[in-house]
Amino acid sequence: MSERSDFVPVPEGEYFETNRFAGLSLLLAVVGLFSLALCAVGASVNRHQFSFSWLFAFAFFFTLLAGCFFWIIVHHVTDAEWSVVVRRQLENLAMLIPVMAVFFIPVLIFRHHLYEWMNVAPGHDPILDSKRAYLNWHFFLVRAIFYFAFFTGAAFLLRRFSVRQDRDGNPAYTLKMRRVAFTALPLFALSLTFGAYDWLLGLDYHWFSTMWGVYIFAGAAGSSMSLLVLVITALRNAGYLKDIVTMEHYHIMGKWMLSFVVFWAYIGFSQYMLIWYANMPEETEYFIRRNTESWNSLSLFLVIGRFFVPFILLLVRSPKRKARQLCLIAGWLVFMQAVDIYIVILPALHGVGLHLSIWDFVSLIAIGATLGFFYLRILAKTSLFPNRDPRLLESLRTTN
Amino acid sequence: MRTPSGNKVYGMGAEYPSATALYEAAKRVRDAGFKRWDVHSPFPIHGMDEAMGLGKSWLSAVVLAGGTTGLLTAAVLEFGPSWLIYPLIVHGKPTNWATVPAFFPIMFELTILFSAFSAFFAMLLMNGLPRWYHPVFNWQRFSRATNDGFFLVIEARDPRFTELEARELLEQSGGQHVTIIHED
Repeated sequence: MSERSDFVPVPEGEYFETNRFAGLSLLLAVVGLFSLALCAVGASVNRHQFSFSWLFAFAFFFTLLAGCFFWIIVHHVTDAEWSVVVRRQLENLAMLIPVMAVFFIPVLIFRHHLYEWMNVAPGHDPILDSKRAYLNWHFFLVRAIFYFAFFTGAAFLLRRFSVRQDRDGNPAYTLKMRRVAFTALPLFALSLTFGAYDWLLGLDYHWFSTMWGVYIFAGAAGSSMSLLVLVITALRNAGYLKDIVTMEHYHIMGKWMLSFVVFWAYIGFSQYMLIWYANMPEETEYFIRRNTESWNSLSLFLVIGRFFVPFILLLVRSPKRKARQLCLIAGWLVFMQAVDIYIVILPALHGVGLHLSIWDFVSLIAIGATLGFFYLRILAKTSLFPNRDPRLLESLRTTN
Repeated sequence: MRTPSGNKVYGMGAEYPSATALYEAAKRVRDAGFKRWDVHSPFPIHGMDEAMGLGKSWLSAVVLAGGTTGLLTAAVLEFGPSWLIYPLIVHGKPTNWATVPAFFPIMFELTILFSAFSAFFAMLLMNGLPRWYHPVFNWQRFSRATNDGFFLVIEARDPRFTELEARELLEQSGGQHVTIIHED
């Protein structure tokens, strides 16, 4: 327990120097472009596999970024104090969602490979026919446009008000952001839930689960808090935010990681247990596929690696107060989010067991590197923390 | 330690004008090396545990032990009969360890229940509660501790306690109405 910090930041804030990291930026651009070009090859060579690989990479990064968006609106809605110092990075990450909208276009192009229901003519499948009011191409497209319009618009507004406050410190912007956040809260819940239904659950149009939206949300929120820990630590290692983000903030982020590790397990188990116990054929299909052959080992690995191991590690107080140790756990949780999304998507293609494909990794690198490149550009535009936020000093002096 | 009139001394108390004054005084008493002393205020003061040098509470260790006991209790009560002593096929589920999903909710609930009980009772024990009477009640001014008074009391059983040193420290740190408090 350290004495409270009396550090007062300069009102101009701290800025990321792009020229120091020009090499990294160039590297990300080259890797991004090269692997995107490879993706184009993959799309023509092995279109069926590639479309699933691309959806996996897309869903992984989309959930991470949507989770970041969630943390911004939670910050404003609960009028949180501690998160002021890390909020700008969440805003920067959420501003990558418009890039994800571009990466969604391949999903639309390869929709006939991904979503079997689009290939079934009306009258051939009574189960599908009963879902046609929701599962039809036009409505699917309209919903996707709505989700991206909402996420982009709200993330843009939240960041714009926050950046304007950097200039004059007008507390009215805090109230404006709060209004946006309150409006965005129910829309976020609807968008993420139905987005999860449309893009992930829709891979198996017979299956249904009312827990699905919450399950995807739990994974998204927990892994994006882990991503935030990684981003903040990277910035600190580069020499920024040294006096701004303290171990007290790390402790709080660690606590959020712990709570969402538990919440993910709680939701995931609730979904599994009810279906396993009732044992009804129309519901068990999803889990039978994932609990047989080599998928079973991967599912067990997910349960142990995403719940039991990080739960025990994060239960202890000391790793949450050490940047390096918390970073290791955070990196692991982000990796487990990828495993989780992989188990959600790929068994729909390879029903008889795990079959890793080169395109899984190429898609992941392509989207990841491109997002990294844009992130560095967004990062340099503003101060690295909201330097005139009315509650900045309280946030700096946060104690647990 | 006794007063000239023969009363046993509990400790020495002082009143402070504000939470800030109490916070600063607590740091000085901590740095002077006293161990058995306490502060009293109408509301919790953030950072006071640091100012008093309290360190981390070991309540969490008790809760961990309680939670683990709960988990093991549930595991024994469920696996014992259903797997080993009296295997019975229920709902078409296997009778071995693979039925564990059905057992998780009870393991979870008992972990929470035992943790909550151990936290509650260990907290009472560590605070010496329930307790209906305390020597500081002998001090007339102390009744303001629930209203607008900020108090610091150093106990006489502290090895460093001497009347002179305690009085000097309390007065120097801005304490008012420095008073000897009787044990009973």
